[in-house]
Amino acid sequence: MASSRDDFVIAIRSAFLKKTTKQKFSLLTLIFLSIFIIFLSNFNFKIIKDIKSIINEIVFRTSFIVSIPENLLINSYYSVIEYSSFYKSYQSNKEELENLKSKEISNEIIISENNELKKLIDDYKFSSNKILAKVIVDHDSLFLKTIIINKGSSDNIKIGTNIYDKSYLVGRVIDVNYKSSRVLLLSDLNSNVPVSITPGNVQAIIVGDGKDSGEIRYIKDNLIEDIQDQSIAYTSGTGSLYKSGIPIGLVDNSNNNFVINFFSDFGQLKYVFAEIEQKEKSIAKSSENTTAPSGSNTEKIKLDILNEELKILSETNSKFLEENQSLKTKINQSDEKIINLEKKIETQSKEIEKNIIDQNELDFLRLNLIYSSKCQKSGFKKGFKVGTPEYRECILRKGRKISD
Amino acid sequence: MIKLQKNSFFYKLYTWLPIIVLFVSVLNEFDLNYLNIDYFSFNFPFILIFYFALKEYNKFDYLLVFIAGLFNDTVVGLPLGISSFSYIVVCTFASYLRNITIRPHLIKDWFYFLFVISLINSINYIILFLFFSYDLDIMYYVINNLFTFLFYIPIATLLNYYLKAIND
Repeated sequence: MASSRDDFVIAIRSAFLKKTTKQKFSLLTLIFLSIFIIFLSNFNFKIIKDIKSIINEIVFRTSFIVSIPENLLINSYYSVIEYSSFYKSYQSNKEELENLKSKEISNEIIISENNELKKLIDDYKFSSNKILAKVIVDHDSLFLKTIIINKGSSDNIKIGTNIYDKSYLVGRVIDVNYKSSRVLLLSDLNSNVPVSITPGNVQAIIVGDGKDSGEIRYIKDNLIEDIQDQSIAYTSGTGSLYKSGIPIGLVDNSNNNFVINFFSDFGQLKYVFAEIEQKEKSIAKSSENTTAPSGSNTEKIKLDILNEELKILSETNSKFLEENQSLKTKINQSDEKIINLEKKIETQSKEIEKNIIDQNELDFLRLNLIYSSKCQKSGFKKGFKVGTPEYRECILRKGRKISD
Repeated sequence: MIKLQKNSFFYKLYTWLPIIVLFVSVLNEFDLNYLNIDYFSFNFPFILIFYFALKEYNKFDYLLVFIAGLFNDTVVGLPLGISSFSYIVVCTFASYLRNITIRPHLIKDWFYFLFVISLINSINYIILFLFFSYDLDIMYYVINNLFTFLFYIPIATLLNYYLKAIND
């Protein structure tokens, strides 16, 4: 018994402490070192943060270089797929573009109205500036759905900066280095986004499901019936984590549970936009401007709004003129069509008339064969001369009347 | 058959292949640990580390394994040191098995590997959930554990060929 315990202890000691000629550190040292690092990474000392930031920079760049061949293969595959479905996508894009163009103008009007209302209810506005960032590492993990972008604190990126794919929300920055940042995607299990779901304006929180979609959680039971299939979810701005009014995705209720299908495909992100926000106090700004009177500043703002409205109105006008022009052309084409149709009707009615006459003549000839003996004038019999209207009348009447 | 000269560059590269593969697998965006396929993923580094630690391969430096773990944490976004700890614990258990085994057997190693990865994944889950408040899906761990266990035999068979080629 004692010897087996000794063997166990020897084996353990050997496993932990024995170093072969090639090993520089024993396993026990490395275990302690890793535990020490785990503890250190839990503290927010500046030196640890700096070291972590340097390691991150090196590893992200190396990871980007190591992933080049794989990315090249994937991109080539997608290029081939894209080329094969090029024409179809061109057609659908063309249609979509036409629709979007018409929507663009109404959107501009809404934006202008929105800005005006914001100025009325608040003394500051956000002047947002979107910068383009490249996704350098898109490493899906079992634990975190994150991407690494090539913009960091040197580009004014901060923790919490909103990240977009076109105008759709993708996630927010959770870790910032000097020249790179980590973005937590909306599909991550740890991501919580306060949203409004329209129609119905239902307030809810979307939590990532760790795959490619989100789940609606934290909603009052009686309001869940108000949510319809294909409703649009956009950020509500509650909690100031995300700006309000950013589209996120569509509600899918096909499997009797509410899932959010995000507008953006997180697996295909190559470039994203990071929104750097700067708060501008409009009133403070106006008070700083001592050279001009405060009234003139208000006038200027009003003038700006009016100019903006004028611009939008002129654009709307030009759009209406275009529509008008196209409608006129359509009317002309319709008129031409009507004239052609009238002509056609006339020729057809003539033809019908001719046909009726032919039919009458045919009837007369048929009756003539039968009743000519009754109507024809001869030496012994009264009648009518052949070819006269009376003769014709007699034939059609099928013989002479007694009065004749 | 092509044979490499022992002092040639390609031979050296070939002997360092396990470590290179380990670093590429932790740095590459393509992660076998997360394939974006429902109910399928496996931890390739665990298999690689366990196998070479068990065979006491002289080019498989524990310090490099430790650094690979740090790289993995940085890329994946885990708290620094978690993967290093996991990798070193795998090495330790493999080293213990090597010391107590007189006649190695693949099936015994296989079941011992199942015990090791289950233990390490449990420790990982507990640390991340309790100390770092990560919201984790336990099913991922169960599936990952199962497939890592199942893939051990085919990968170990392939690696046997590799070691055989080195020794020849």
